[in-house]
Amino acid sequence: MAANGNVSVIGRTTRVRGRITGAVDLEVQGFVDGEVAVAGDVTVDAHGMVGASIQGRRLVVRGAVRGDLLGEESVLLEDGARVVGDVRAPRVAIAPGALVRGFVETGEGERGAARTARVAAAATPARPPAAVVPARAPAAAAPPAPASKPAPKAAPALAVAGGAAGTNHAPHRRPPPPVVPALKKAKGQLAKKRER
Amino acid sequence: MASTVIGAGITVEGEITTDEDVVVAGTVRGKLSAKEGVAIEHGATVEADVVSGSLVVAGSLTGNVTAIERVDLQSGARVVGNVKAARVTIADGAQFKGNVDMEV
Repeated sequence: MAANGNVSVIGRTTRVRGRITGAVDLEVQGFVDGEVAVAGDVTVDAHGMVGASIQGRRLVVRGAVRGDLLGEESVLLEDGARVVGDVRAPRVAIAPGALVRGFVETGEGERGAARTARVAAAATPARPPAAVVPARAPAAAAPPAPASKPAPKAAPALAVAGGAAGTNHAPHRRPPPPVVPALKKAKGQLAKKRER
Repeated sequence: MASTVIGAGITVEGEITTDEDVVVAGTVRGKLSAKEGVAIEHGATVEADVVSGSLVVAGSLTGNVTAIERVDLQSGARVVGNVKAARVTIADGAQFKGNVDMEV
């Protein structure tokens, strides 16, 4: 291992809670619970775990990361890597054996692409959309059929609270309640479309 | 050989906990606790309370120190804070301001 000169190492039994910043290379063999932002290369060892986003020139991951990876040049996810978060770099390599859950973007994506990425990430069939679909059906069916459970309770409360903010279309991530006002506005059309 | 190195040019803001040796050549702000030895090298800046097995300081340290075994302030060191350890040495040329508690 090149543990010389300007390489900084967070050793195996070391736990850092907080930010790590700097201009040189960093190797994580231990646990970092905080943002990492360096101008040099970052290596997350097979035993390394990082609980927040990592930013660096070239990132090599063989351990676990829960957070976004942003590489100025490249991101390499090697065998054994476990990443939950978005991956963004001009070049991204995911080796066989690496596990990733999140949005991956290669190429010279502008920094503003973060927004698009987040929307796209929300659209992946990983988590919340499943919650959105069932929420619609009871809401639309609520007035005629007294069968559904949560919708009748949620709807009146939201009609008061959400009346003014009715135009505020809830994003996919939100749980069912915020979705209801948006649907309420278009309920008539929705009901027509759905039932006929 | 140290297994955790905060190199020159690296800044850690927060808490570092470890069972192994630590060498600081960069900057640490917050808290630093190690079971083994801690070395604060020339040019390093530590603004943190340090708890360790032993401590060698050649750089700049602001904060209270508690070491199980010994604390050595080398020439060129600049330390502001209280030092508590079984043995404390201060080399000629080290700057120091604080209490020393050697549990006599």
